[in-house]
Amino acid sequence: MAVNRRVIATAAALCFATAAVFAQTPAPRGPRTVNAPPKPTGTTPRAADGHPDLTGVWNGLGDNLNGVPNQIANNGIAIESETVARDLHSGQMVTVFPRLNNRPQNNEQAERAAALLRRSGSNRPIYKPEYWDMVKYNDHNANEEDPSNNCMPAGIPRGAIPSYIAQYPNHVMFVYPGQGGLIATQTMYRMIPTDGRKHTPLKDLDGTYTGESIAHWDGDTLVVDSWGFNANTWFDQIGGYMHGENMHVVERFRREGNTLTWTATVEDPDYLLEPWTTTPRVALLNPRPDAMLPESQPCSERDLAHIVTKEHH
Amino acid sequence: MRAFLAAAFVVAIAVAPSAPVVQAQGAADRAKVLRSAADALGMGRFSDIGGANTRLPGIDIINTMEVQGSGTSDMGGRQVKTDFHVALGYNPVAARVELTRTPDDGPAQHTIETVRDTYAWNESEIGAGLIPGKGVATPAMNTVRERLLHIWMLPYGVVKAAYAAGDKAVVSSEAGATTISAPLTGPLAGITVKATLDANNLMTKVEARADNQALASLNWEADYSNYADHAEVLTDVKTPGRVVLKQGGRTIVDMTVKTWETNNPYLVFPIPPNVKTAPATTSR
Repeated sequence: MAVNRRVIATAAALCFATAAVFAQTPAPRGPRTVNAPPKPTGTTPRAADGHPDLTGVWNGLGDNLNGVPNQIANNGIAIESETVARDLHSGQMVTVFPRLNNRPQNNEQAERAAALLRRSGSNRPIYKPEYWDMVKYNDHNANEEDPSNNCMPAGIPRGAIPSYIAQYPNHVMFVYPGQGGLIATQTMYRMIPTDGRKHTPLKDLDGTYTGESIAHWDGDTLVVDSWGFNANTWFDQIGGYMHGENMHVVERFRREGNTLTWTATVEDPDYLLEPWTTTPRVALLNPRPDAMLPESQPCSERDLAHIVTKEHH
Repeated sequence: MRAFLAAAFVVAIAVAPSAPVVQAQGAADRAKVLRSAADALGMGRFSDIGGANTRLPGIDIINTMEVQGSGTSDMGGRQVKTDFHVALGYNPVAARVELTRTPDDGPAQHTIETVRDTYAWNESEIGAGLIPGKGVATPAMNTVRERLLHIWMLPYGVVKAAYAAGDKAVVSSEAGATTISAPLTGPLAGITVKATLDANNLMTKVEARADNQALASLNWEADYSNYADHAEVLTDVKTPGRVVLKQGGRTIVDMTVKTWETNNPYLVFPIPPNVKTAPATTSR
């Protein structure tokens, strides 16, 4: 049993590590010791139409966007220094425990800690009471139940901030590289019109993983409005947050200098008691002018059959 | 209880003939003791998975927990067989305590008592009052303090309160045992919790004491034992295997834990609209 756990943990760790290496990230001078949203620097470039230009490779934090430090931030816990951390949703301070030594964790310690760290924030969607146990069950049994664990697309808004954005006069293109390993997901892309067209009536759409998205500018913020989803995804990377085919998602992208801030508001009249908005997430532009996205690793799920406990990311 | 007090008296006489030895410690000792208590419970954690060039400090990862257990509880002065299902959280501070009491001479009684922040209510079913026509939520504002207190009397609550209290937290040595005292705040201002640590820095006893007589009904004691990771999803967080709550020397709850999930499970405590608008009492 212990051996299997180690195998799984190692596979997951390798997946993270490999993705980080291939992402052509800049080489920071020293380790980043905070995960609080970075402050913007530099000017905000503008497209010919005057709107901010979101074009770029948005992986400049120097580590994998799906790594635990960023996952903690995605969950709303900002570690601002060696002594200060807070929950961005509630404002509650979170006690910081400085590391007492440089001893590395073993995989089991790291995995168990990761599962806790990624779920300790307070910003949780409020489901209708009849679904509370089901959501808890989903997360509790995420190894088997997570729909993206078997090389399926993460979907929207789980995909969160795309690693690459290309902005054109009448549309934007988003690219979300896939990952191998235990949390294997498929590469996703979205071609989103900004030409003022209207949504197709929901009843006329066949549900898809990324839905039908159209975008418009609200001042300097790109607002992406999506519906027409299938019910095969969870809408955040943790939590077992299932949804129905009537889900409606509004994403907001705002570029300031070298930062891109993203939020998503999820409405689902069938499952949620009230709309839920993610804690804002901030990506940093990759500063290298030659930054490229590598080919994603082939998605071939081989780990699930070996899972023997309920420990999970 | 009488036997316990007698034993404690004998120990006190043996260790400190004139009075219990109480020695307040300095800031350095306080930090060391608090850290040891937090580490013993598994509260401060970090993980470098996928971090590449990031090396974050640890943070307090205790938020939501779910406990299932069985044992007895006090019902009108009688100890009654009880099944416990407790959902709780620290951000927001909230709990939902579901009890199924089965007296020897009567039908089972099922209650759901919930608290969040400065609101308390009873639910006819889980999540009652949130959707029109689905259950009844009955405001119970006069119970806010007592319900909140039980959250802060858990070992994790004491550690959180002590860190939040800063230099108002006191670490002492009493009769050979280390203790941590911390004042509570908000609706529980005027209450101090004091925990006694064992040799492994785990809390075996937590006492809540009111600063004044008006709050005397909040004088409670809790005994914790048989610590282990009682979760199905293992997390390395240590939880008690037995919890005994007492008030005025009388046992109110004696619970043996079946499972204590610590992986921040999905537990939410939305306040029903009719509770939000319910009249405040002195407890709010």
